[in-house]
Amino acid sequence: MPHQCTSCGRTFPDGSKEMLSGCPDCGGNKFQFKPAGATDNHADEVGQPSGSAPDSPDSAADASGAAAEPSDRTTPTGDQAAPTPDEGSVDRRPADSADATPSDQVESASSDAAASADSPTEADGTEQIADRSDEDTAQASARSEVVSPDELDRASRDVDPAETPPAEEEPQPGIDALRDELNDQFESIRIVSPGQYELNLMELYDRQEYIISLQEDGRYVIEMPDAWGIQDE
Amino acid sequence: MGLLTNLRDSISRVTDGLFAADEPKRIGIYGPPNAGKTTLANRIARDWTGDAVGPESHIPHETRRARRKENVEIERNGRKVTIDIVDTPGVTTKVDYKEFLDHDMEKDDAVRRSREATEGVAEAMHWLREDVDGVIYVLDSTTDPFTQVNTMLIGIIESQDLPALILANKTDLPGSDVQQIANAFPQHETIPLSALEGDNMDEVYTKIAEYFG
Repeated sequence: MPHQCTSCGRTFPDGSKEMLSGCPDCGGNKFQFKPAGATDNHADEVGQPSGSAPDSPDSAADASGAAAEPSDRTTPTGDQAAPTPDEGSVDRRPADSADATPSDQVESASSDAAASADSPTEADGTEQIADRSDEDTAQASARSEVVSPDELDRASRDVDPAETPPAEEEPQPGIDALRDELNDQFESIRIVSPGQYELNLMELYDRQEYIISLQEDGRYVIEMPDAWGIQDE
Repeated sequence: MGLLTNLRDSISRVTDGLFAADEPKRIGIYGPPNAGKTTLANRIARDWTGDAVGPESHIPHETRRARRKENVEIERNGRKVTIDIVDTPGVTTKVDYKEFLDHDMEKDDAVRRSREATEGVAEAMHWLREDVDGVIYVLDSTTDPFTQVNTMLIGIIESQDLPALILANKTDLPGSDVQQIANAFPQHETIPLSALEGDNMDEVYTKIAEYFG
């Protein structure tokens, strides 16, 4: 039972389209993804909502069967919302108390995953589920860190100062690493912290492309001369 | 926007090459922040066209996008020189929002200004490489001219073989020391002026006609 509604506990096979517009039973729009291997170990800790499937070996087997049945595809993209079994249970735990303070990110990530599960170009899902125990931490991390629509939206528009998060006070995980990586790649501007920059004038002068927009979180947009050259010629 | 600007600029570069004698030279006004670049640009534009180029301010990095005033005709000794003036953001190696906090600015505004100023410097450096035919380098004569930025920019301008005029601005202020600037860049002629008061602008225009005509 890869997907489970966190409100009523109804389960859906992987790749199911039923859940795309919310749970048909209770209308809930939060689902947790539980790979087949996870049920044995973690069902107890997570605390199944009422009416959920028992955590017997049979259910795991059923889940694999169910996953394979509707189609041969399961979705790497869908899987992104579901990290390793361990992380999965931790991440999704807030969903158990769904009505308390549901995080938008969990919510949107889940619905994204649900939406992308529809994508037809995916590999065989059964195999993936079986392999998941071998997954290393890097993969697990990559799976769990889905860019939220909120973040995408923020990066794509001009930053409204009123909404600007005080990144200095609340550093988001990964921002520092990202900043370092960018600094290594583009030494023309070193972003010390938001609002503090060091500029390498020679580099800026020597570069063909130039920076046209710095983003709040340390990213920046550059204009590549080749990009418009190809378009125009 | 950038794409169109680029396209327009590259077209105008080509035409510049074809009609070099007729097209106005594009003169970039460069220098560190708060040297008086915009005040000078406004002074020149007002004297010869009646318009201004952009707002002036005591707060550094008031100009965060290059601004252009085209077809400024300057007449000197019966000779007419047409130039496009490009007022550029102050070039610096460090931008810190904290320096704006002293000017009664909220932190959010200061951070944004800082970001825009950094983009402006990047743009100004890009223009220096691609888009100017000559440089008016403005320095505040009350401050030490021996800085990394000044040395580097003058070096770049010289390496490009661009005609450059060095102006020692703010001679109306008590601490003004024109000689210090002349000593710092002995290979160039240094013209004293007060763009704010309009002092010695005649000589400035004569030199502009001479250097960029």
